[in-house]
Amino acid sequence: MTKLPPAVLSRVAKPARYTGQEWGSVTKDHDKVDATFALAFPDVYEVGMSHLGLKILYHVVNRRPDAAAERVYAPWPDMEAELRREGIPLHTLESFRPVAAFDIVGFTLQYELSYTNILNMLDLAGIPLKSADRGEEAPLVIAGGPCAFNAEPLADFIDFFVLGESEEALDDVAAAVAAWKKAGKPGGRRGLLARAAGIGGVYVPAFYEARYNADGTLAGVTATDPAAPPAITKRIVADLEQAPYPTRPVVPFLEVVHDRIMLELFRGCTRGCRFCQAGVLYRPVRERRPETLLRLAQELVDNTGYNEISLTSLSSADYSCLKDVVGRLIDQFQGQGVSVSLPSLRIDSFSIELAQEVQKVRKSGLTFAPEAGTQRLRDVINKGVTEQDLEEAVGAAFRAGWSGVKLYFMIGLPTETDDDIRGIAALAHRVRDIYREVTGKRGARVAVSVSSFVPKPHTPFQWYGQNSMDELERKQQLLRTLFRDRSVTFSWHDARVSFLEAVFARGDRRLGEVLLAAWRRGAKFDGWSEYFKFDVWQEAFRETGVDPLFYAARERGAAEILPWDHLSAGVDKSFLRREYEQALAAAPTPDCRRGDCRACGVCQGLGVDIIDWGTP
Amino acid sequence: MGKKYRLAITKGEEIRYVSHLDYMRAVERAVRRSKLPAAYSEGFNPHMKLAFASALSVGVASEAEYLDIELTAEVDPAAVGGALARELPPGIAVRGVRTMGAGRAALMAVVNLATYRIAVPLPAAALDAAEAAIAAFNAAPAAPYVKESPKGRREIDVKNFVHSIAAARRPGGLELTLAVRITPAGSVKPAEVLAMLVKYFGLSADPDAALVTRTGLFVADGSGRVAPLDL
Ligand code: SF4
Repeated sequence: MTKLPPAVLSRVAKPARYTGQEWGSVTKDHDKVDATFALAFPDVYEVGMSHLGLKILYHVVNRRPDAAAERVYAPWPDMEAELRREGIPLHTLESFRPVAAFDIVGFTLQYELSYTNILNMLDLAGIPLKSADRGEEAPLVIAGGPCAFNAEPLADFIDFFVLGESEEALDDVAAAVAAWKKAGKPGGRRGLLARAAGIGGVYVPAFYEARYNADGTLAGVTATDPAAPPAITKRIVADLEQAPYPTRPVVPFLEVVHDRIMLELFRGCTRGCRFCQAGVLYRPVRERRPETLLRLAQELVDNTGYNEISLTSLSSADYSCLKDVVGRLIDQFQGQGVSVSLPSLRIDSFSIELAQEVQKVRKSGLTFAPEAGTQRLRDVINKGVTEQDLEEAVGAAFRAGWSGVKLYFMIGLPTETDDDIRGIAALAHRVRDIYREVTGKRGARVAVSVSSFVPKPHTPFQWYGQNSMDELERKQQLLRTLFRDRSVTFSWHDARVSFLEAVFARGDRRLGEVLLAAWRRGAKFDGWSEYFKFDVWQEAFRETGVDPLFYAARERGAAEILPWDHLSAGVDKSFLRREYEQALAAAPTPDCRRGDCRACGVCQGLGVDIIDWGTP
Repeated sequence: MGKKYRLAITKGEEIRYVSHLDYMRAVERAVRRSKLPAAYSEGFNPHMKLAFASALSVGVASEAEYLDIELTAEVDPAAVGGALARELPPGIAVRGVRTMGAGRAALMAVVNLATYRIAVPLPAAALDAAEAAIAAFNAAPAAPYVKESPKGRREIDVKNFVHSIAAARRPGGLELTLAVRITPAGSVKPAEVLAMLVKYFGLSADPDAALVTRTGLFVADGSGRVAPLDL
């Protein structure tokens, strides 16, 4: 058991990141359980502690009497330096046990640019980075989360991936580990991997071989082990009513990014925005019942003492009984000093009415995401929002007393022209003018945030070649010249970051060596601008002879085998292709939630149904 | 008008590195979990009527923190302590509760003395020299020290706040005990006292490795000290 020396804790920023003891944390006697999990998040404490998925998994494992889950986050570089100097291995927050002493080390993959942190954490834990180099005593290193749906860039480092919603899968993994240990570890590490490969949704990359064509494209990823299925399909919880929910989450001392109760209204979103990966990965829509939500909310308030409930979902405003639930939550909790907030808004006046109800206090800012500047391009991406919708929504917001709005856009979308770029500025200026029309005053605050589009696997745009960095920067520059008005502020993302995201989002196994080379050269916390070192990545690509443009900028052919074709989210590739073609024709596809089935394949393929309590 | 209670609580080893703001928030959440009828301020952004005596630095533990809380209904003081104790995270214990009559001055305004214990790790061979450094401080008529903060540099005389320091040998080092005056013109932090001893009195110790614990908060006058719970 490692206890951190006082001198170390005195020297680092925010030492409470490393000292645990939070309300709700669970410490079990490891001698009395059969399977131990170190749940790892490859980013700093405040980010990792804000992640609902990890809270769910912590609960799923710890409710088992035969298993224990503890947490570990990426130490900030100041702490990393202290750990290395003092020779202290990476350890968990609950028991301060070295991570290497656990049966399973499970990483949550939320973001491609946290991959170097995974290597760094393994190194700090003293665990060999590559699966092939791990001995019998090393933990199994596993990973899940949205990025697992293209597992290939991490295939060398992760013993197995869990695809999809893991609350049931992790239970299966815990049971498999416990059974394997009780049976005297038959077959050793490989025996356990073979057992894992039999669990639905589990992908053991070492049991597959990737072959390439002469032109560098993938010829296939095929199973080489009898235990390995030819393709792996995601796990899904058919009915959230039956799913475990963490009503006793860990309550941090430190103020974290989402420092409030997270109440998940539903999972999935079938609006069908064609750039959106989550919309595909979490299909179909499954809602919790209003009564269940009210009960969970009360338990969460009782157990945490938080004074805010945030209604989280991919698109919370789409919850069928939202008005009813918000009203009842406010009635139930306002006497208890607890407020309700709604993080994601739809662009319509109904949302503004609700926002008014929940955010009586905070008139600070409302966020809308038109994503594209012209109707044509919004049809391409299937963002079912018109200029009139936006005008009505911001008009309602300004009438209700808001003076600031944030507008989110993307550049680099398929078929985009400079007219679409100019459309972004025009829309922002229109919003400013609406303020004047509504209030008769100047002084609107319009914040325009423009990110660069990163094509993601398992989306209709998975074939699309990303705009070059030069092109993205040219478009950013064009926008800068168009925003002259002081009431409109414009911010944009570093094109080099979007480029690197695009490389790893659609990469294959050959990127493993690049990751390793970049990490050796000091890459870590790449998602943090103060640590992002593009030159290091360029050197890593050069050193390994891997061409990043092959992954980021290349338009894939319709027939090309993609590195994630053997990893299924339940949505047919033919549906995605159809959607891509519809996109190029600027033809919208309506939501299937209350309309016709669009035959994406998920419901039939996985044997699940849309659950929507608002359907008559 | 609600009922006011004063509580004595601790900040234990477990949460030594929690900041004062985070510590206060942890107590506030515990109050909410306890379902005690806490009073809230009026207005759009209601906050719990909770006041702490004196801020503690990150890295400093305490055996004597005090807070005043207002409830909307009368509750037996023992029940207030019991309800809260069940909901406090490890490292925070309730040491005493009493009701406060109306018109009592705010804790912050009356507390004017804090006592500390500092464990300074030292090799046995360095103990004589360390004791000599403390003795030199005690004998010095003045002890100027430059306080540095984000707000700027300010020279103070530590002797205005700390009259003397007692040193006792303990396994692994020296244990210092001291009383620090809190005045309208400011005070000095134990970490600054240590830094001053290292810089000007030749104490050869690593201030980062020392463990500071607040042992008491008092209202002192010429005749003696009274703890906030006994006011
Ligand atoms: S299968 Fe049909 S109903 Fe189900 S999510 Fe896909 S399009 Fe919607």
